[in-house]
Amino acid sequence: MKPAPFAYHVPSALTEALAVLDELGEEGRVLAGGQSLVPLMNFRLAQPTHLVDINRLDELDYIRRDDGVLAIGARARQSALERSQEARGAAPLLVEAVAQVAHPPVRHRGTVCGSVAHADPAAELPAALLALDAEVVASSRQGERRIPIHEFISGPFTTTLAPGELVREVRVPVSGAGSGYAFAEFSPRHGDFAVSGAAVLLQLEAGRVERASVALCGVAGMPVRAAGAEQSLRGARGSEEELEAAAAAAVEGLTPSADLHGGSAYRRRIARVCVRRAINLAFSRARGGA
Amino acid sequence: MVDRHRIELVVNGETETQEVEPRRLLVDFLREDLGLLGAHIGCEHGVCGTCTVLMNGETIRSCITFAVQADGQEITTVEGLASNGKFHPVQEAFWEKQGLQCGYCTPAMMLRTVEILRENPSPTRDQVREGIASQLCRCTGYQYIIDAVLEAARTMSAGAETDGKVLVKQGAGPSSAEAAAQTQGSGPALEEEAEDASRQKES
Amino acid sequence: MAVTQQPKVERKWIGKSIRRVEDPRFLLGRGAYVDDITLPGMLHAAILRSPYPHATIKSIDVEAARSLPGVVAVVTGAEAAELCAPMPDFGPAPDKHVWRCLAVDKVRYVGEGVAAVVAKSRYLAEDARDLIQVDYDPLPPIVDPEQALEAGAPLVHDALGSNVAYERTFTFGDVDKDFAEAEVVVSDRLRWNRSGGQPLETVGAVAHYDLGTGMMTIHCNSLTFSHFLFMMANTLKVPSNKLDVKPVNAGGSFGSKFWAVKVAVLSGMLSKRVGRPVKLVEDRIDNISNCDHHGSDRVYYVEMAAMKDGTLRSLRLRTIDDYGAYIQFGTGTHGNSLAQLVGPYRIKTAQYQVQAVLTNKCQQGAYRGFGSEVTNWMVERMVDLVAQEIGMDAVDIRRRNFIQPDQFPYFIPTGNMYDSGNYEAVLDKALSMIDLEHWRAEQKRLREEGRYIGIGVISAQERSVFSATEFWFWFDEPAAKVTSSPESVTLTVDGAGNITATLYSCAFWGNSAETMVAQLVAEEFDVEPQNVNIVYSGSNRSLPATGPGGSRFTVMVAGAVQGASTRIKEKMFKVAGHLLEADVGDLEWTDGAVRVKGVPERSKPMAEIAAWLHLFKHSLPDDIESGLEASKVYDHPYTTMPSDDRTNLGVFYPFMGNACHIPVIEVDITTGHVTFLQYVAVHDAGTLVNPRSLGGQIIGGTAQGIGTALYERYVYDKDGQLLTSSYMDYLIPSAMEVPDLEIGHEETPSPFTVHGIKGGGEGGRMMTPAALSAAIDDALAPFGVRCNELPATPERIVNWIEEGRSRQPELTE
Repeated sequence: MKPAPFAYHVPSALTEALAVLDELGEEGRVLAGGQSLVPLMNFRLAQPTHLVDINRLDELDYIRRDDGVLAIGARARQSALERSQEARGAAPLLVEAVAQVAHPPVRHRGTVCGSVAHADPAAELPAALLALDAEVVASSRQGERRIPIHEFISGPFTTTLAPGELVREVRVPVSGAGSGYAFAEFSPRHGDFAVSGAAVLLQLEAGRVERASVALCGVAGMPVRAAGAEQSLRGARGSEEELEAAAAAAVEGLTPSADLHGGSAYRRRIARVCVRRAINLAFSRARGGA
Repeated sequence: MVDRHRIELVVNGETETQEVEPRRLLVDFLREDLGLLGAHIGCEHGVCGTCTVLMNGETIRSCITFAVQADGQEITTVEGLASNGKFHPVQEAFWEKQGLQCGYCTPAMMLRTVEILRENPSPTRDQVREGIASQLCRCTGYQYIIDAVLEAARTMSAGAETDGKVLVKQGAGPSSAEAAAQTQGSGPALEEEAEDASRQKES
Repeated sequence: MAVTQQPKVERKWIGKSIRRVEDPRFLLGRGAYVDDITLPGMLHAAILRSPYPHATIKSIDVEAARSLPGVVAVVTGAEAAELCAPMPDFGPAPDKHVWRCLAVDKVRYVGEGVAAVVAKSRYLAEDARDLIQVDYDPLPPIVDPEQALEAGAPLVHDALGSNVAYERTFTFGDVDKDFAEAEVVVSDRLRWNRSGGQPLETVGAVAHYDLGTGMMTIHCNSLTFSHFLFMMANTLKVPSNKLDVKPVNAGGSFGSKFWAVKVAVLSGMLSKRVGRPVKLVEDRIDNISNCDHHGSDRVYYVEMAAMKDGTLRSLRLRTIDDYGAYIQFGTGTHGNSLAQLVGPYRIKTAQYQVQAVLTNKCQQGAYRGFGSEVTNWMVERMVDLVAQEIGMDAVDIRRRNFIQPDQFPYFIPTGNMYDSGNYEAVLDKALSMIDLEHWRAEQKRLREEGRYIGIGVISAQERSVFSATEFWFWFDEPAAKVTSSPESVTLTVDGAGNITATLYSCAFWGNSAETMVAQLVAEEFDVEPQNVNIVYSGSNRSLPATGPGGSRFTVMVAGAVQGASTRIKEKMFKVAGHLLEADVGDLEWTDGAVRVKGVPERSKPMAEIAAWLHLFKHSLPDDIESGLEASKVYDHPYTTMPSDDRTNLGVFYPFMGNACHIPVIEVDITTGHVTFLQYVAVHDAGTLVNPRSLGGQIIGGTAQGIGTALYERYVYDKDGQLLTSSYMDYLIPSAMEVPDLEIGHEETPSPFTVHGIKGGGEGGRMMTPAALSAAIDDALAPFGVRCNELPATPERIVNWIEEGRSRQPELTE
């Protein structure tokens, strides 16, 4: 199981990388952590003709908080996010999500931006970033654009990234004080892609939900916001009934496609369980517990 | 005309310079070009962990990393653990606790153990269990492996005390190549007789 | 049959948990596995696999592949059929379900090999593989084994005329009478889906055909049945004395490298074709889809007859076994079933109907248990059903029916013998290690909180050391009534008195073969185990050896070691008698030396005797030859022939281990996830050679049993596509899915084996599926759940709960 041949480009500066990508256009594919791409290449399901390796772009290896935003550069590894004290303070939901991505040896190479660009519908990070209203910064030789993540991911393994563009950064609004968060997922085996998972962020005001964000992975062709659940949670105090109602609302209208690890009904069920667990934990955190 | 790239990297403390095809997987480079046969191929899609090596002290899957990506990096394989004919304490513990059967996942499992113990020199049993979950083993059911990791933690911290130096630092400490070098002199020689009193949970 | 058991003796090395002698090389990363082998001029091969489950091959265009630089040869199935005869096949009608190393004319499962490429590197071989154009004409596949029985189903092999490769009903005793007299009859449909060994190292071979000598040398990680290798020579079209298969350490097998000869044949065929050494190592997709070693895949329709007091009377079943596209070992896996069909119970009669069905899937081979683990699950599931029906406790019903210690040797209805056992002692030890009362109280308390924990208690057999009869007693007129499955060893003592043991099969595949041999030799000669050198012989000058499999190796090699040791000692006694001027009858072996009985100062240590034998021949009596070496071919110690009418199959799998497993689990009813709270396993494998090494086998086997019970399955969809072709979908348990076991050992020595050893290598997987099924039932009893299909995946468990709820509306949330 060996990859097909490709031409390899290894720029040492962002401008150089963007020039190469610009020149290659449709042909160019970015290699960051490679933890999803290289397996696909080994299976020969992906046979890119040109790989642009951005692992030398030290300038993109950052996770920094700045002006109410946590900015994560394209070279920042998932394990760096996991260890980042700054991230833990600014976007604890994201840190909780990243700790559930695969296993440490994968997170040592895998990048946050790479996960977003790969847009696996079962992946944790895109769902967490969706709940956090993150923005994707796409850079190209022509300039830069900021794309809300819900516009960036357009389908299973599909994004609106244009040829010549690089996901240079992901920008995450800092979660406010008094917010509660949780990422809950379920997979039959530890460390695998989840059957489904839920990212929840709650902003409480005097014990009631002022604003709720709920996003799900594994239930559709891309991560989805559960608007029904968010609506249902407004004003909630965290009673059993409210939790149940929100969890039910979260999966209403969802028809996940079946696969080996779960039929449609089972995926919905797991999504509902995860939403409920995540909301419950988020409430308790918002109240200063856990 | 095959496109080849020149790479220079440090493997088990030795500088290696080679020209490789970009698509060459790191595991094939280590095995076939450097003859480091302790890195094994299991699934070639990053799940089983059998190919795990240390890059700059961190575990990575060498079957889903290209050799060109190791250019300028420092790699440690199982061959870098023992030194001067003496086992690394992790190897010693795996032998003592029978943390292996067929031996195929073992090099990777031990390298992951080196990392786990660097990050947390005295882990709990549950922490070890979760820590090694990145590495599949089809033989052992993991129990003796966990015993071995805990035994290594014990001997390494005891060794650290008696030697008056830290064998393996916490956090972003030295690469395991350095750590391995520092463990010279600890642990019995390979040839040493190894009678064992089984202390497993048996009745 | 001779009873060779000695009274419990003081042993020096047997019974000690020494560190394994094989380990240093693996710890150093010098395992010397097959993929580590490089020969001068070696080329690399890759196999093109069929994407279709069933299709006619209309044409294959290999021109583009052949002309790719670096490619040395491309061989299609049709060309391979010229170079090679069909694969060795022990199936019922090898001429009607012809199996070849590459498909010719027609492909019969997804993954079947269609063509092979040989190139300068594996990368190039795969590049060329992508350039091969195959024109397929798809045929309708047959996937479901029960549908395969129906008239008009697509045929996997036209020549066979149906999809039934073998069918027969065996009746043992007056089954009808027992059912007529029974007060309780329970019945069920049970479904055991296919999983497999999936060792982390795949099957591989490096072949070198020497044009000058005509010698075919193949290094491979499968060498079993060395006495059958002439069949592989026939396939390769080389004289059998010009084939040398060299055993290589295997990175795990679990049965799946048992006579795994296809890769060796392919590499040999390709080497012969190109005249250079060729390496072929399966990749993971090859191994999952095309390894010839998927495990049992059975549907059972089964009835059990019993009395209201819990006495079990009879078992009557029909089993449909989905063998996939070929049937290389025939119904040997059902021989395993018949070896222990009634479990540890006094069930007096049984009827067994087997239908071996062919479908468009990878064929079955061996997986830890070889079919007997499925029988254990079936029997224990039915005993639990009887218990439930009559309201009896799981422990009580087992106690009531156990074969008692004074009843051994005990002949079960099929004719097989159980040599010895103490099933109640095993059960009692397990119960003593777990606080049942505590867990029952916890169960009650937690149910009130909406949490569901369950306890499973099962007792089951582990037959060990098969005899050859189980491969042919199926037929009234078998092709060859093979009688033994031997194991051999040669012990060589050099001039310095150091011992080398030569083994003749691929003994190391993760078990502790070398440690076993080292301990056994050490016991005989009072040497340190790590000072015994262990080497492997190639097949070319091999003594008959069957290798590991069916938990046979330790028992058989112990017999061989003892036999060879006796011969060595006889010669040493002769020499010592001469040197000490004593009568041989007055000598004894003590502490590594031969001495005059009771006179320690008149003794000759082994090293000195060895020196005399190697260097001073002419100072010894004329009839003593130079050198000190002896071999022993140890034949199966207890085999009897089947009766002509096959109402009695004879003794074919007699050394009967037993175990009791008690898992305590919690089932999360919202997700169907199972977690472990405690797990107790007590095994009786006769005399223990190395308790820790056996413990390792029990724990590892249990982990695989957990995989089989909860996670693992090779899934083919209704169109015959394999959905689990990677480790992302075929779920091997990680450390997070496997609990710590609490292990206990009982030791009921076998009266028929050397040292009283019984096999134990398959143990855990023989028990765990039954134990977990019982625990799931127990946890989910409020929902009336009956675990009748494995794996019990989270989704399946949730569905069972929902079905239970729909039967009992008051349970609905």
